[in-house]
Amino acid sequence: MPKIKKKRLGFVIDMTPMVDVTFLLLTFFMFTAKFKTEAEAEQKFVIKRPYASADTSKLPDKDIAIIKVGIDTLTGDTSYYYTIVNELQRRQVYDNLNFTPEQRKPQLKVGLDMLDQLIMQTRITGPRTRFAIDGDRRIRYKWIEDAIDVLRKNNATAFNFVTEKRQ
Amino acid sequence: MAGGGGGLELPERQRRGKKHSKRKKKKRVGFRIDMTPMVDIVFLLLTFFMYTTTMVTPQVMEISVPKEVEENVEVNQANLFTLYVRGDGKLFFSMGTDEPQPLAMSDLRSKAVELNLLRKNKLITAFKPSPDAPYGVIVQVLDILNQAEAEIIRQLQAEGIKRERKFAFVKLSPEEVEKLKGL
Repeated sequence: MPKIKKKRLGFVIDMTPMVDVTFLLLTFFMFTAKFKTEAEAEQKFVIKRPYASADTSKLPDKDIAIIKVGIDTLTGDTSYYYTIVNELQRRQVYDNLNFTPEQRKPQLKVGLDMLDQLIMQTRITGPRTRFAIDGDRRIRYKWIEDAIDVLRKNNATAFNFVTEKRQ
Repeated sequence: MAGGGGGLELPERQRRGKKHSKRKKKKRVGFRIDMTPMVDIVFLLLTFFMYTTTMVTPQVMEISVPKEVEENVEVNQANLFTLYVRGDGKLFFSMGTDEPQPLAMSDLRSKAVELNLLRKNKLITAFKPSPDAPYGVIVQVLDILNQAEAEIIRQLQAEGIKRERKFAFVKLSPEEVEKLKGL
């Protein structure tokens, strides 16, 4: 006796468990996402940090002034960039240096002389502010050496090099 | 497949109200919502957040340099371990007033440990990077020295000696630059 062939109907998969898991992951990633700061959003360079494996302390996110040495991705120019994380302190420093409204950017592209003045004002307005040098691993050491000399001149003898964990 | 409002349809009400109605009451079955568009959007957002989040936060290497002083500090030349990094990133070392010799990056750690254990706490490490050397190499050397430091502390502690690290950044003199060029 021949079997009766069942007509195959369009089938439905229950997506509920998948949606549950997906939402869970989505909320996790949304909550852990850290958005770029105003200063980082403006910058036209990406710093390839030098690798280090012995370092364990994380970069502090307050009371810090960062001297970045970056290579512009478009033009390839190397320059110093200076950021004071504390908004109030930044305003105070800019006031002391009589900056015009156009100059009052969160991240300044500076030369060595300007860097010297900025560091001096940062030291005056916040003696506890720490300094970090965030340099690209491809640049010449000269850039870092000059920045260290400026820091030393302003009596900031303890500072940090920003590095990336070697995987 | 949950019954959509099955509890509402009480038997008496059904009998009383809809008894004579000509329209046949459709029995309410569990309903389904098409979740496909929602899932599409959720996956889109999920991939966006997954790609944009960076899990690695930058770390810091602590550096301290001496204050600017004019007077020179007398150093016993015999205990001086000098590390040079040439403009092309090559590493050299010398003990005391010896001529600089090439040193492989992989041997630096064992060399630093060996010399420090030999001279106990007396060894002074002077680091002379060339201004033309890539910054990445400088940090690599510092990192290797930091790794060696952990081992030195452990070994000296076993001997009952408290470790005092003597390390300094020194600028290359023009004569040394010339000397390294020839190597």
